[in-house]
Order: sequence, then C-alpha cells, then structure tokens
Amino acid sequence: MRRALPAVFFLASLLALPAGAVRADTVELRFDELIRKPVGPRGLEFSDKLLGAQGRQVRIAGYMVREETPRAGSFRLAPQPVGEDDDESSDLPASTFTVLLDPAQSQRFVLNPKGLITIEGRLEVGRQEAPDGRVSWLRLQLAPDALTLTSDNKP
Amino acid sequence: MKPLLPLAVLFFAVAASAAPTVTRLTPPSELFSSGHAEPVIARFLPGQRFDLQATIRPDAGRRITTVRFAVDGADLEQTVSLRDCASGCVKNVDPASAIASLRAYSLNKPGLHELTVKAVQDDGQAISAKGNFEVVPFKAAFGPKIKNIIILLGDGMGAAQRTAARLIHGYAQGKAVEALAMDTFPATALVKTASLNSIVTDSAPGMTAYVLGNKNNNNEEGVFPDDTVDAFDNPRIEYLSEYLHRTQGKALGVVTTADVFDATPAGNAVHTSDRGAGTGIVDQFFDDRGHTGLSVLMGGGRKWFLPASTPGSARSEANDYAFSATDPHTAEIARRWGVAAGAKDPERDLIKDFEAAGFAYAATKSDLDRASDAKALLGLFAFSNMNVALDKINGRRGLKTGLQGTVVEDFGLPDQPMLDEMVDAALKVLDRKTQGFVLMAEGASIDKQAHLMDSDRWMLEVLEFDRAVKRAQDYAARRGDTLVIVTADHECSGASLIGASTVSDAQLRELARAKGVSNLRDKVVGNYEKAGFPHYKLAADGYPETMDIDRRLLVGYGANADRYEDWRTSKTPQRDPQQPFAKAEPLKWYPATPSERDAAVGEYFVTGQVPGESAVHTATDVPLSAFGPGALSFSGVIDNTDVFFKLAQAAIKGVTAPADTSGAKRPAAKP
Repeated sequence: MRRALPAVFFLASLLALPAGAVRADTVELRFDELIRKPVGPRGLEFSDKLLGAQGRQVRIAGYMVREETPRAGSFRLAPQPVGEDDDESSDLPASTFTVLLDPAQSQRFVLNPKGLITIEGRLEVGRQEAPDGRVSWLRLQLAPDALTLTSDNKP
Repeated sequence: MKPLLPLAVLFFAVAASAAPTVTRLTPPSELFSSGHAEPVIARFLPGQRFDLQATIRPDAGRRITTVRFAVDGADLEQTVSLRDCASGCVKNVDPASAIASLRAYSLNKPGLHELTVKAVQDDGQAISAKGNFEVVPFKAAFGPKIKNIIILLGDGMGAAQRTAARLIHGYAQGKAVEALAMDTFPATALVKTASLNSIVTDSAPGMTAYVLGNKNNNNEEGVFPDDTVDAFDNPRIEYLSEYLHRTQGKALGVVTTADVFDATPAGNAVHTSDRGAGTGIVDQFFDDRGHTGLSVLMGGGRKWFLPASTPGSARSEANDYAFSATDPHTAEIARRWGVAAGAKDPERDLIKDFEAAGFAYAATKSDLDRASDAKALLGLFAFSNMNVALDKINGRRGLKTGLQGTVVEDFGLPDQPMLDEMVDAALKVLDRKTQGFVLMAEGASIDKQAHLMDSDRWMLEVLEFDRAVKRAQDYAARRGDTLVIVTADHECSGASLIGASTVSDAQLRELARAKGVSNLRDKVVGNYEKAGFPHYKLAADGYPETMDIDRRLLVGYGANADRYEDWRTSKTPQRDPQQPFAKAEPLKWYPATPSERDAAVGEYFVTGQVPGESAVHTATDVPLSAFGPGALSFSGVIDNTDVFFKLAQAAIKGVTAPADTSGAKRPAAKP
C-alpha cells in the first residue's frame, strides 16, 4: 500500500535551467567524462574531473526514479525514467544519484516531475549503502531552497 | 433442537481456536492443502535430498515444545530444529508460531509416501497433519548411461521466437532454406511451464523445475516457500548438479549472456527465496562449488564480485548470506547439507577468491581466447547484463550505431564474446572432466528484449543462441555420450509473427514521416499472401547484414505494454537500468522505454493489454528439442519437472529411448 503523502513538494530548481542561470562556480558534468573507457578488468574508474568535483556544486540532467514507496527526505536520479515497481532483479544502476533534501526537510516527499530534469547540488562521491542494501556511489545534496510547496497542498 | 444451534456453533468455534494448527507443511502437497491425494506436487529421485518443514501456530499464550516428522508412519530420528516467529517471519504469521525443520532428508524407496508432522504444545495438546510426496523410481535402461548433459535455455523463447529466427534464415516457396540447428534435433516435446504459485512463471522456477524436478514459487530458486524473511533459510531441494556431483562426480558449467546472479544461471546451483539477493547468490556459487562441481561460470555481473569499496561494486551485506553457528534453524543447513555457512562480507574480493581456487579469470573475449583449458574458468564480461547480439555484432562490424561510436564502445565494453564462443570455451574446459558434466547455457536476452518488444534485438538473440546450439550439437555428435536439450523457461511477450511489411524500407521511412495508424499499420502490414517471404541476407559472420530490409518480417505482441511502433530497428538498445555506469553520456540519450522508443517517429501508438512499460511472460507451453542418446524420451506434452527425471534417468541408469527414429542408441556423428 502506498504511503500517504503528508505534503508534496516539487523542486523549484529542477526544471532545466538556462545556461545563464548556472552559478559561476557550478561544475557542469558531462557523462562521458565520468568513467574511463574502455572499462578495465575489474572495477570502474572515476575520472579526475568527477573526483575533482567532490564537495562542489554540480549540475547534471536525469530522470527522477518513480518509487513504489516514496521516501521522505530523498529521491533518486537516474539516467532514464525507471521505476521501482519491478522485482528485486531489476536493480537500479549502482551509479544512480541519491538526491538528499536539506536535513530540515527530511520528512518531505518530492513530487515526481515527468521527463528529463536538471539538478544542481553538492556532489558526494563514494560508496554509501541504503537500508535496503542498494549501493549508491554518487549523491547530490540539495540546497534548502530547492523545494517549493505545490499549490494543491498549500495550507 | 433449534435453540441449540448457536451453542453448537460456539462450541466448535471455541474448539477450533483451542488447538494448535499446522499452517504449512513442506514439501508442498495437495493432501495437506486440500485433502486430495492427487496431483502429487513434490517428487524426488531416489536419494535426492530435500528439507522437511512445518509451521505450527500454538494456542494464544502457549508455545510449541516438540515437533517430530514421520514418513509412512515411522518417526524420523534426524534432528528437528525449532524456531519461533517473534522476529524474522513474514506478516500474518503469529509470532508464537514455531517453524520446525529437518534438513537434507532423503529416501530411496520408490513410490508415494505419506509425511506426517506431529507437534506438542506446552500444555500437552498435540496436533498432527499429513502431506505426501513421491520418490520416482529409475526405469530399466534401453541404452547406456550418458556422460554429459547440456541444457540450452533460450529465456523467453516460445515457438514464435524460434520461428522468427528460422524465417530470417530464409524461406523459398514455403520451404525453409536453412534449418535452425535446434530444428534438426530429432525429438520435440511441448512443456508446461506453470510455477508453484502461478500459471505464469518467472525465470527462477522456470529454470529450477528442469534441474530440481519440483515446482518453486516465482522469484525463488532451489527452495520451497517458507514463513521467514531470511532469503537463504528456506527448505532446500537438491539440484541436478549437486545430485550428480555427489553421486558421480560430475562438474557443472553455467554460461549466460545475463548477469550471472540472474534467475536462470543461479537456478542451477544457488538456494534462495530472493532472486535479487545478488551478493549472497554469487558467494554461494563459489562457496558451494565443492557441492555443485562448479567449474565454469561466465556472463555479466562483475559488480557483485568486486569488493564493496571498489567503484562499480554492488556488494551489500543486506543481500548476502550467513548461517548461524548456534541457531539450529540455519546451523543445520550447513551441518546436514555439508555446505558453507557463508559470511556477511561486502569487502570480499570474489574474483580473487576464484583465482586463488584455481580459476582462470577472463574480463574480455581476448582473455577468454587466452584462457587455459586446463583450468576452471570465470568470465565476467560486463557489470550487469552483457550487451545483446545485435550490438555486439555491430560492434565487430564497426558500425557506429551508438552515440559516440559503436554501442559496445558506449558501454565501455567493446570486447565481449558471443554466446557460441562462450559455449565453445566452456566445453573445452568441461571436456577434461573425466566423470562428465552438466552445462547450462542461457540466451538470456531473448527474454529481456522481448520484454522491451524490441523485435530485431530478440530475433538476433535467437540467432546467437542457435549458433551456440550448433556448437553443443556438434560436440554431442562427435562424442556420442552427451544428451542436449534446447528449451525455454517460459514464453515472453506473446510474440506473434503477423506477416511482413508490404513496402520497401525507404517507403517505410516515408510512411513513418507521414505518421499515424493509417500509414504505419494500414499501408504496411501484409498478412496471408501479402506477407510473402521476407529475404534477409546473412553476412559471413552468420548474422543479417541489416534487419531493415524491404518487406521485412513484422511482429505483434499479445502480452504487450503500451508502445509506439515504427517497425524499424532501433539504433541503440534500451538503456539497461542494471548497468552501474549507465550515467555515462552516450547512454543518457538512449530511449528508455518502449513507448518512448518510437515516439519520435510515426506516432503509431499500440495500446497495451498489460500495465507498466514492459511486455510480460505468458503461460503458453514452450517447445523442447532433444539430441543425443535417449533423445526420443522427450515427446508429448510434458511438465517442466518431468525433464529433470528424464535427464537423471539417462545419467544414472541409462537412457530409456533411442537417439532418433532409426532406433540407434547414439546420434549420427554428423547431424
């Protein structure tokens, strides 16, 4: 059964930003610069550019993952519009971004905008395991002003 | 009498609630579930091991103190472990319920047997329940024992998928120009594919039925269902690989184009109720290699083998396995089955462990070509599923159909082997096994591309699969002691060969630009004599020069999700959400769902009959073809579990039928 959403927000800064709106210190991430190719015989190798962007504000486009049970305080950003209603064998990519809302917004749920969206946030690179065992290697921490209350849910 | 009725009802209601109840008895049986002795659900070989288990709910405030199992009225002396459900059980199971298990039981005596569970509550009340199971006897042999078994599993490959591949080979005036290798097999059967809990199976029970002789629940492999949430503690059933390794020392080879943790490969050696428990599944492949004889493991899925701290790794403690040393519920699994206890070890370097155990490791086709036949073999050619045949072949042809080059270059994995090359390599290793082997080789993406309704990609998957069939058939013909079966776990997508395009490819592109159903359906789809015979031209590599021919073969789907259709080949594959590096730029622009794939071209929308974005498996029977000694024992309409008993019979006691209609005991040397 789906969890009732106490309040639904959408991301003010999600919808594609014009190039001029990008902050000067924001790193534009090109996906072909993230991983070294061809892939070697063992693990992936992140690029110097990706690793160099750790802790900095980055901008990247993707799709918000449709979750069977939305989670408060976070959502995930994938390179395609995937959902979580499949069985466990249809795992999301290990490199799916986990997008973290500001800690003060940890009880909020984010409305799923359709289509490709552009996200800006502070980049964290490194392994982090969710309680369900899924592993993320890339995370984006959103700013507090990233959320806007939708008109339907305004008190 | 009338006034007494409410009292009588009350009496029986009280009586019913005042007695412990057996809520589950394993192995599953109709005798326990419905009171009918037939059909018999659970069947085993003489000596094949399996777990007995019962869940007993006590009265409120009471607990179950002792549980015994009996077969045919005789109490079993083996240890019965007891656990409660205070934690770790599924919803709706009373926390006071007791789960009693007797691990690794076996019985040699053929026939139908009655299983009884007897439980006693702490106030002395007793309860018992009955079920049944059958031990299937071996038959008198017609011919010699076979040494080797090769199971070629086209995942999702129904009759339509097979026919489509043959049509690509070409027809002339109604006759096939070149038969598929699997078409030349002398014996054919139709296989019923239902699982333990559905008419529509998924790949886990679809595979295990062939190599266990029993039905599993969907999503479960090598186990019967239970009432706990632990994915690795379910009642086990001994696999064909384990049985033949234990009794004859045979080796096991597992080859797939999918991630090796996927349901079909895992359903030959791994016991779990969660087909998605990747870390534990690949660990168990390795840990229990001494019980399965695992000597070859090839496919994708490298992400599960890397230490958790290595980028790209998906290893997690949450989906790993570890049996307790003290809790008999799981400790008895390791003790009675003699298997590894496992460990929660996300930092494990499983590639290194394989290498230390004497396996050669191949990460590319070039590595595979260099690998020594004298060593066991681990091949991990992708992080998740391998690229599909169409994209691998286009990569070899240098066709830059990806966004930054070839598709396999986009994925960063340009040197992946084809399935037939993997089967060749596996056979070279396994041929050295003096006691013989069981090899399962899977064409995995017939199913995966059918789910996506990407007709051209699943058709090339079948062609690739059939080339692997040819390699296995040639091997079996050369040796004369190897039984080969080709089948599927289930059909996928309700694929239907509806006819052929009535227009050229150039006209098709024009009609796509004109858009809409009146152009892309009404002016394109030719059925009956308008379909004629599509003429694909095969290149020297054995695959069509192009799928975008004039008057091309057209495929409809009977189990489809919503989609747009323009009939032409999609240049790039659907993005694979299991690829850990799918964020890379070239993949970003790949169409993500079938409905998105052709949306930009044509606007011919086909309404789906199922929700979601993928076509689904169907309950339709699937064909099975057999080659080698005993092949003719595979005939008629059979249950998927029957296949197991036929294979075991041939390996343990000898074949019961000729190799072909000539009556020969061995196949012809040149098929």
